[in-house]
Amino acid sequence: MNFSIDGHAFSAEPHPGQCLRTFLRERGDFGVKKGCDQGDCGACTVWVDGAPIHSCLMPAFRAADRKVTTIQGLASGDALHPVQQAFLDAQAFQCGYCSAGMIMTIAALDETQRADLPRHLKGNLCRCTGYAAIHDAIDGVVNVSDDIAGNACGASLPNPFGPGIVTGHARYTMDLDVAGLTHLKVLRAPHAHARIRSIDKAPALAVPGVLAVFTWEDVPRRLYSTATHEDHLVDPDDTYMLDDVVRFVGQRVAAVVGESEAAAEAGCRALTVEYEVLPAVFDPELAMAPQAPVLHHKGGEAHGNVFAEIRGEVGSIAEGFAEADAIHERTYTTSRVQHVHLETHGSIAWKSDDGRIHVRTSSQAPFIAHEKLCHLFGFIPADLHVFTERVGGGFGGKQEMLTEDLCVLALLKLGRPVKWEYTREEQFIGASTRHQMTTRVKLGAKADGTLTAIEIRVVSNTGAYGGHGSETLAASLSSPMSAYRCANKKGEGFVVYTNMVPGGGFRGYGASQSTFAIECAMDDLAKLLGIDPFTLRRRNMVTADDWIEAIWSGVSDVEFGSYGLDQCMDLVEEALATGPRRPVPAGEHWAEGTGIALAMLESGPPTEHRSGAVMELLPDGRYHLAVGSTEMGNGSVTSHRQLAASVLGARAQDIDIINADTDKAPFDTGTFASTGTVVAGQAVMLTATALRQNILSYVARITATKPDDWALEADAVVGGNARISLVELHAKGTAAGHRFLAKRKAYLSPRTVAFNVQGIRLAVHRITGDIEILQSVHAADIGRLINPMQCRGQINGSIAMGLGWALTEHMDYDDTGHLKNAALRNYRIPSFADVPRTQILFADTYDTIGPLGAKAQGECAINPIAPAISNALFDATGVRFASLPFTPDRIFDQLQPRP
Amino acid sequence: MKARAFSYVRSETLADAYAAFAQAGDASYISGGQSLVPALALRLQAPELLVDLGAVAEMHGVTLDGDMLRIGGLTRHAQMLTEPLIARHAPLLAQAAPHVAHPAIRNRGTLGGSVALADPASEFPAMMLAMDARMEIFGAAGTRLVPADAYFQDLYQTALEPGEILVALHVPSVGPRHRWAFDELTRRRGDYAMVGAGLQGLFEEDGRIEHIRIAFFSVAATPVRVKSVEAALAGRKIDAALIAHVQGLIDAELDPAEDEHLPPAMRLHLARVLLGRLLQTVSSPT
Ligand SMILES: Cc1cc2nc3c(=O)[nH]c(=O)nc-3n(C[C@H](O)[C@H](O)[C@H](O)COP(=O)(O)OP(=O)(O)OC[C@H]3O[C@@H](n4cnc5c(N)ncnc54)[C@H](O)[C@@H]3O)c2cc1C
Ligand code: FES
Ligand code: FES
Repeated sequence: MNFSIDGHAFSAEPHPGQCLRTFLRERGDFGVKKGCDQGDCGACTVWVDGAPIHSCLMPAFRAADRKVTTIQGLASGDALHPVQQAFLDAQAFQCGYCSAGMIMTIAALDETQRADLPRHLKGNLCRCTGYAAIHDAIDGVVNVSDDIAGNACGASLPNPFGPGIVTGHARYTMDLDVAGLTHLKVLRAPHAHARIRSIDKAPALAVPGVLAVFTWEDVPRRLYSTATHEDHLVDPDDTYMLDDVVRFVGQRVAAVVGESEAAAEAGCRALTVEYEVLPAVFDPELAMAPQAPVLHHKGGEAHGNVFAEIRGEVGSIAEGFAEADAIHERTYTTSRVQHVHLETHGSIAWKSDDGRIHVRTSSQAPFIAHEKLCHLFGFIPADLHVFTERVGGGFGGKQEMLTEDLCVLALLKLGRPVKWEYTREEQFIGASTRHQMTTRVKLGAKADGTLTAIEIRVVSNTGAYGGHGSETLAASLSSPMSAYRCANKKGEGFVVYTNMVPGGGFRGYGASQSTFAIECAMDDLAKLLGIDPFTLRRRNMVTADDWIEAIWSGVSDVEFGSYGLDQCMDLVEEALATGPRRPVPAGEHWAEGTGIALAMLESGPPTEHRSGAVMELLPDGRYHLAVGSTEMGNGSVTSHRQLAASVLGARAQDIDIINADTDKAPFDTGTFASTGTVVAGQAVMLTATALRQNILSYVARITATKPDDWALEADAVVGGNARISLVELHAKGTAAGHRFLAKRKAYLSPRTVAFNVQGIRLAVHRITGDIEILQSVHAADIGRLINPMQCRGQINGSIAMGLGWALTEHMDYDDTGHLKNAALRNYRIPSFADVPRTQILFADTYDTIGPLGAKAQGECAINPIAPAISNALFDATGVRFASLPFTPDRIFDQLQPRP
Repeated sequence: MKARAFSYVRSETLADAYAAFAQAGDASYISGGQSLVPALALRLQAPELLVDLGAVAEMHGVTLDGDMLRIGGLTRHAQMLTEPLIARHAPLLAQAAPHVAHPAIRNRGTLGGSVALADPASEFPAMMLAMDARMEIFGAAGTRLVPADAYFQDLYQTALEPGEILVALHVPSVGPRHRWAFDELTRRRGDYAMVGAGLQGLFEEDGRIEHIRIAFFSVAATPVRVKSVEAALAGRKIDAALIAHVQGLIDAELDPAEDEHLPPAMRLHLARVLLGRLLQTVSSPT
């Protein structure tokens, strides 16, 4: 058959059954991405004879004799297509994984279609940006500012990988051609709880192209946790690579390696497994009951399924409630949701000629994955290299080692390179989720609103494995309980095993769940007392003079490096009163309401967290920066360059950067818990400062002056009238044996706090349950903005995710523990049409703890979104929606007049 | 998941396609592929042979024959929005089309594929009912025309016998006294509808309804007409009291299945809301 792809004509025979997407990628057209393989996400969009189509839904042979254009053929020569340029100017991406498809769709829109973007962009999902920057690109808005030497910090500088992203040349985890590659697939459990009696490998091994089958009998019998933390003791070691007991529908049962994905899948289907089905339990309250089936027998069974219990009390809540004029008590529940980073999990492992093992992975924590692999396989650390290239989103989902282990196992057994890429369905049934939590809140207050007691009880459904269980629970009892000043506080929480898919880290990390409960409860209390929600919060919210205290009286390392909650409240109140909004839709039955919620988050986790960086002056006068942390769309490579540039008086573009590579960068615990700026950024700052010192001291030495006499500029060191170019200095220094190199490490302590306040005005249709967001206002206290455009991007993305959690996303299970909506078609992440523009405002603060005044910002903006919506619904209807999500059927159900 | 390896033929005539299908033990036709390819990838369907209808001449093109518009089965969803003959003679299709999936899908998906598949949540099959269309079907005995009322039989079950091909859709052209309307209620904008409906009626000069056809989708195993409502509207002029009256007939007419996403009571409720909106829309000339 004859094909024409991006102007290249050739003949080829696609495999029978092959879709155009894999046909293109097999040829090396890696710009064409996969997000779902079901027509739902648009990441695979290409043009066929000029019309955009999803290449995953077109049999490859149908593209014969047609003109196919991919993102890689969109530019004419070096001249970018105007939409590619617009994406660069607006920086309409974070991880950039959706950009290829997005650009191909937008570039084909005519003027009338551009006038109705919500409809025409429905087929292209983005999980990172909240679509605001994409809208900017379409409108021709330029968000980037100039890269001026010495002024890098505070400027909206572009992502250094932007040109690669918009042309499809940026390489994500799976965008690699490896000779002799084999493919791994796993068979997943059909039962929520069962013992594997036997697995017959023979029928699978008989499938043509199947190379090997691995079961629990073939793996190192070592317990570990898939969760990645600096201190592995915070997560229970309750997992085997492959186990003889399955504890949730979707757990790995066996791995099959084949010459092709199709062969490996056929092998999985051919396996015969005999199960002894065991009783299962899905509800954590039932799982806590004495007669419940116990999931794990690894030493902790004395506690049944409760593997972590956290308690604390300050003051006396008994006295606090006794003093109260009014008491409010209610239970609030949050739902299980998935991260839906557009790039699914996956890794590729191979051996180099020197016998070392290399693992290319889509991970937020390659260094911890490195440690875990060493633990599992007994490697000498130096023999193993783990790294990421571009990672297509994480949001906490990739703070987990889910694919690396089996790839390495297969590599060791077969000696051939191995790749394992999750399908979208596997993301839903075989990856991590946000912990479902049920929170009982009891508030006592004086008639004037002053809180006298706060009590919460949190039950967290961690699912079948406990990774992140105790840390998310601790987080739920921590910052959200510190956000209000009250002499008497008590919290207790339980992490309970059930036969559900495991919970994991997820943007907001436990605090999102209890913030939802507490912020809804505050409005319920306000209503009870007849006090306005702003006033009630202002009366009780923590101030800069307060001692930061959750439910434990011990001292913590959390401090106010800055404080801007008061400003955030004022900004939101003002904007809600005066800012732009849409009118209530025409027609009857609409009820309008406004709601607010606040959130406080510690910048970084209470567990240890460290990072390191190495910097070098290069012969051409530029710099090289190696930093351990992963860039997954959070923008750290951009902000790290800016931090370094501002210390070195350089332009950001003068700094080459490499990150997240155990061979090429110093250790970093991982990009999670909003540590990209406060830990890795700190390491970059310290390193750049040390390199500046190194350079200036050397100049001082050779000129017999003092280092303080000199300053660094873009290309030179300057002192009075003297000017030595960096090129010259480097040549001279290295000839004399000097090294322009520095390395520093950073640790996270003390930790500062960040604040976010969200305001929502909405209209709810009493008859259809439709919700229209009329106004969205967000104020953030995140210290100095290293890159204002990126800060807005993170906040817009968090808000969109919060809207999804509140309104449309929900993992829906049947009573045998099977997920009913394991596809993007019916697991609904927000599309362009669902995300209103948010007015984003910043408190004017400068943090004394974070690097150059900045604080953490990647996560906490999500926390006030869902409660602000619930509060607005409450204001509009007088009905409290206390369970996420607020889908039309639930709205309808609760708004029906009760007999 | 990967689709089963299948072989592939591209037929140029209906007879060839029919023969190829019949010869293979296990074949599927492919039109736009937008429902078939995901089904293959999920192995909900795993045929040995795909018979590509794309080159069959009779299935292409839109033509007017007297007061019947013949729309070839391969007419793409996107063409519902651009084809002048459709805008003029079958405007209900143009009105429904923006609600069907999204542009990349509409660039491939075909009217014939949608009506052959007869997904109960799909827009176009219900519009066939509302417009009183005839399905042109090619089978062993040649070509026959089946009215929409006899075509939709049960869940994914139509008058198409195995191997038969939906060649074209014949739609009566609308005249100056016709009015029509389409709407649907979705969870997330652009999704498959929770409830949707279209109607088309012939109105007297004075605004009285001569006759009207109203078809709902996403409420049952097939698209369905609400005949008691249609009957109650005939000869009447739309006003608030009439709307309230016919809304009251919905409960007896529709019997949505239990579905925990959407309780039957809410589906019925939404159907009443939608009916009210549509009648309101056509109470003045389209
Ligand atoms: C992400 C996504 C969203 C979608 N959203 C919607 C939506 O909102 N509303 C909606 O209505 N649809 C929606 N669809 C479905 C889409 O409209 C399909 O294109 C359409 O239903 C089938 O048309 P097709 O031409 O693609 O048929 P195909 O996929 O080629 O075929 C569908 C089935 O019909 C059979 N068939 C096809 N043509 C004929 C024929 N002429 N004679 C006999 N049998 C035939 C095939 O064998 C197959 O079993 C969506 C699809 C996707 C992927
Ligand atoms: S991968 Fe094709 S639409 Fe998602
Ligand atoms: S930038 Fe769109 S998915 Fe990451």
